[in-house]
Amino acid sequence: MGEPEIEAEPVMAEPVLTIRDLRVYFNIRAGTVRAVDGVDLDIAEGEKLGLVGESGSGKTTTALAIMRMIKPPGEIAGGTISLDGRDLVELSEPEMRSVRGNDIAMVPQAAMNALNPVRRVRDQMLDGLRDHGVNESRNRMQDRLTTLMAQVGLNANVLDLFPHELSGGMKQRVTIAMAICHNPRLILADEPTSALDVVVQRQVMETLEDVRSEIGAAVILVGHDMGLMAQFADRIGVMYAGKLVELATVEQIFANPRHPYTRLLISSLPDTDGKKRLQGIPGLPPSLLAVPPGCPFMPRCPEAMDICGVEAPELIGDIDIVSCHLHTETRVA
Amino acid sequence: MTTTAQTNMSPPANTAASPLLELRNVTQVFSSGPIWKREHNYAVNDVSFSLTEKPALITAVAGESGSGKTTLGRIMLGFQRPTSGQVLFSGRDVTGMRGGERRQYRRQVQAIFQDPFSVYNPFYKIDHIFTVAIARFKLASSSDEARHLIEEAISGVGLRPSETLGRYPHQLSGGQRQRVMVARSLLLKPQVIIADEPVSMVDASLRATILETLRALNHELGIAILYITHDLTTAYQVADNIMIMYRGHVVEAGDVEHVINDPKHPYTRLLVQSIPMPDPSRRWADMQGINNPPFAGTDVTQHMCPFVNRCPDALAECAQDVPDTYGLDEHRISKCFLYQNAGTVPNADIAAYFNIRDASPSNVDAADNM
Repeated sequence: MGEPEIEAEPVMAEPVLTIRDLRVYFNIRAGTVRAVDGVDLDIAEGEKLGLVGESGSGKTTTALAIMRMIKPPGEIAGGTISLDGRDLVELSEPEMRSVRGNDIAMVPQAAMNALNPVRRVRDQMLDGLRDHGVNESRNRMQDRLTTLMAQVGLNANVLDLFPHELSGGMKQRVTIAMAICHNPRLILADEPTSALDVVVQRQVMETLEDVRSEIGAAVILVGHDMGLMAQFADRIGVMYAGKLVELATVEQIFANPRHPYTRLLISSLPDTDGKKRLQGIPGLPPSLLAVPPGCPFMPRCPEAMDICGVEAPELIGDIDIVSCHLHTETRVA
Repeated sequence: MTTTAQTNMSPPANTAASPLLELRNVTQVFSSGPIWKREHNYAVNDVSFSLTEKPALITAVAGESGSGKTTLGRIMLGFQRPTSGQVLFSGRDVTGMRGGERRQYRRQVQAIFQDPFSVYNPFYKIDHIFTVAIARFKLASSSDEARHLIEEAISGVGLRPSETLGRYPHQLSGGQRQRVMVARSLLLKPQVIIADEPVSMVDASLRATILETLRALNHELGIAILYITHDLTTAYQVADNIMIMYRGHVVEAGDVEHVINDPKHPYTRLLVQSIPMPDPSRRWADMQGINNPPFAGTDVTQHMCPFVNRCPDALAECAQDVPDTYGLDEHRISKCFLYQNAGTVPNADIAAYFNIRDASPSNVDAADNM
């Protein structure tokens, strides 16, 4: 137990994952698409980090880069991704293969497409275990699978079913069970509930939270549903045009967003506390082929100043980070 | 919450309003499997309600996947002939319509679909969906007039004609494509729009714009809108009324303010409690009883409440009979035995519980300072 007086502060535990200046570029005929362009991120032990942004903001690409699953024409053009001090960018493919699943696991977006339709759940899960060197007696393996199923709230007889016999929520739980079977340090969940309705969504997210706290893993939840982020995350990183524009605690982001983009994003959310005029964010994000100089949000920003068109703002702050010319001083927590 | 004005209490004078598009005891059964063990799935189960011209309202239909909400929309669009029951447009049964009458119905009832990618033919420019509609319904006598109509419709949804026309679908963003679909509906100046999950595939920042456009079409042009969704927060924001569907049944319906902020049917309560509120101080509360309801594992038949196996409040009769529709107050009905003392509402009278505009539209204009 640590000293009680520092409990109130959001002390950063030792980071599990440290990302520095991550750049993921896609080299296509028309030029270079800077999908992720200089992202810094620390994820603490057991932390739940939400990564939000609109389509094309680079949130999914960031998650894929952590898994080293960027396919050509894309490539990790620079930066480091350190997991417990080991730079994943430098690892060979066989080394990376053992990191995937064992240390970092992914819960995919479309569970219906993630499972093999012609094989029973049991066989698919056994593959996942054996592939990572688990080779125990038949009975021990069965026990492991039954325990995994129980952890995600599924009956053991689900193991004998084919994916098409499962509902969307059950399939997503199967993918969660697969993700946790090697007790990973970090789980990447990319919009795990976007195809599910609210009741099932809630059950799946609660399942994810239960297993996460059981194995003590950190989670990066990628998505655009701010409601889900508010329910789940400890901290939220907001991405725009391949860059992280704000990163703060979930309370801070919702109560006191600092970047104008975050502010507009939150004010565009519908709630059920009285009807209001719904306001979108006018305009479109810039093409990542040719990001204009200055702040990428400037053309859509209601508070843009002269400097915004000339100079790109720096990420400023320690635990509460923002990249905007309106905020030139570090906020003290 | 004082937003629900008491003026709603006025007697339902609106019942006299002639229904524009009406469903009478509509049932849709999908059958599957071999004849000796045929399975019947009641996608829509004895649903009656109507959309009126005056007042023209936005009615939301909400429920989980498989609840029958999309089938309901397809029946109203005339894509699907119901197994039993009637669909009436301006008092005429749509199944018997032919020729000009049918064309009129097709024009007056327009659709906006979920996927703004697959509704377009990628080989044609955006203009195509407008010119086809103009030719089909003979809306313009010259190409100049046609051009004018198209530009007017596109401007009407907040897009710039110069940036939209002449382009191919893949050159527009998802949000723009969905707004072009709204513009196409607008061009035809329909009386009814059936919008099936129009924003579920669109980014959050654009959702608000599209929903605001729908709301404007309703308020300014008096187009009645059926908004089919699984998202209760957007339903709350845009709709006047809401119907909650569960396995083909309308289990609760009424004024959106009441239904969402004071849900009565146990299924509606479950839905509302599951909304991920964009507010970290209001995280999901524990759901008592939801994980082990009294009739868990019951094989639900056509002679039971459809929700009996998941309902935390299920009574003995729920497993023996289908509940009637009960009228809880002036603008709320619920198909649940918990409210059986409230008095049964015959199907023919259900429309009276709809078609009431929330008497506080002023609050729409109040909060534009954000």
